[in-house]
Amino acid sequence: MRALLLCGLLCASISLMAQDILPFDNEQQRQLFNQLTEELRCPQCQNQNIADSNAIVAVDMRQKTYQLIREGKDRQQVLDYMVQRYGDFVHYQPPLNRYTLWLWLAPVLLLLGLAATGIYRRTRHSAERDNTNPANLNTELDQLIERYRSKKP
Amino acid sequence: MRKIIFYAPLALFLALALFLLSGLFSDPRERASAIIDKPLPNFALADLMQPDKIWTPEALTGETFLLNVWGVWCPTCNAELGYLTELRQQGVNIVGLYYELPRDPAFDAPFDLAVLQQDVALKLQQQGNPYQFNMLDLERSLSLDLGVSGAPETFIVDANGIVRAHHIGDINPQVWRTKLAPLYQQWSQP
Repeated sequence: MRALLLCGLLCASISLMAQDILPFDNEQQRQLFNQLTEELRCPQCQNQNIADSNAIVAVDMRQKTYQLIREGKDRQQVLDYMVQRYGDFVHYQPPLNRYTLWLWLAPVLLLLGLAATGIYRRTRHSAERDNTNPANLNTELDQLIERYRSKKP
Repeated sequence: MRKIIFYAPLALFLALALFLLSGLFSDPRERASAIIDKPLPNFALADLMQPDKIWTPEALTGETFLLNVWGVWCPTCNAELGYLTELRQQGVNIVGLYYELPRDPAFDAPFDLAVLQQDVALKLQQQGNPYQFNMLDLERSLSLDLGVSGAPETFIVDANGIVRAHHIGDINPQVWRTKLAPLYQQWSQP
């Protein structure tokens, strides 16, 4: 009896969820909708996309996205529509412009800096290695001894 | 050269610390608005109290005004009503954009304009009425076009119907003095 009740409850929740599914003309549109709602950022709860958020504005943006897709708009048109209203902020993939250039440039510059430091250190090391030459060492030692002696009273 | 390399990590650390320190004082809700210096989007919205009257962008031109997005369901909006009323008494033009909540057909009663009008009238009677009039944005379509992310938000619209400022959050004496009043005065000049 209890199992039957549980089963009934589970089925009830499934049928409730089914009501939430939006009808699309084709599978492509559904995929586009899922992709866009995951890529668009909720302006109210800022670290959620509009698929995850239930803020009023996210609900409205989801609805608008759905409406635009049903009207036959493509991915770029929907993104343009949202960016025009909410700014670049609203898309999780920022465009390349003079403000965001550093996002791409900084890692490359850091890598170049690291490589330059590595090369510099390596060349310095090989320069120091010349000192291991016995003749050089001997003269250096002689100089040291000389200096030490001259300091003595 | 050695000295430069010796101090490089310290310099990097200081730069990073300064960068992160500035982050402590930045407001994460502050973001560039896309509507600034653009004309009001096209709309035709009914007056909240006289639904026969339809407001369009053309009807709003002529004088600089504040467009205040609000709702009786929003506690912060209700809290700022008193100060906005003071501003109106000082001669600031304020138009309300009523931001109605979406309704879930399974849980909420259908929209009833008479009930909403009563709620609004009561609230404005209690807290003060800063508005020359209110436009009802039932589907939040104008709000979406303006880039509204919630309530309260306030726009400064100049006499030609160009949006000049977009403030997210409440208006209090400090915000008005430091941020909005200078812009309002600047765009009120003929």
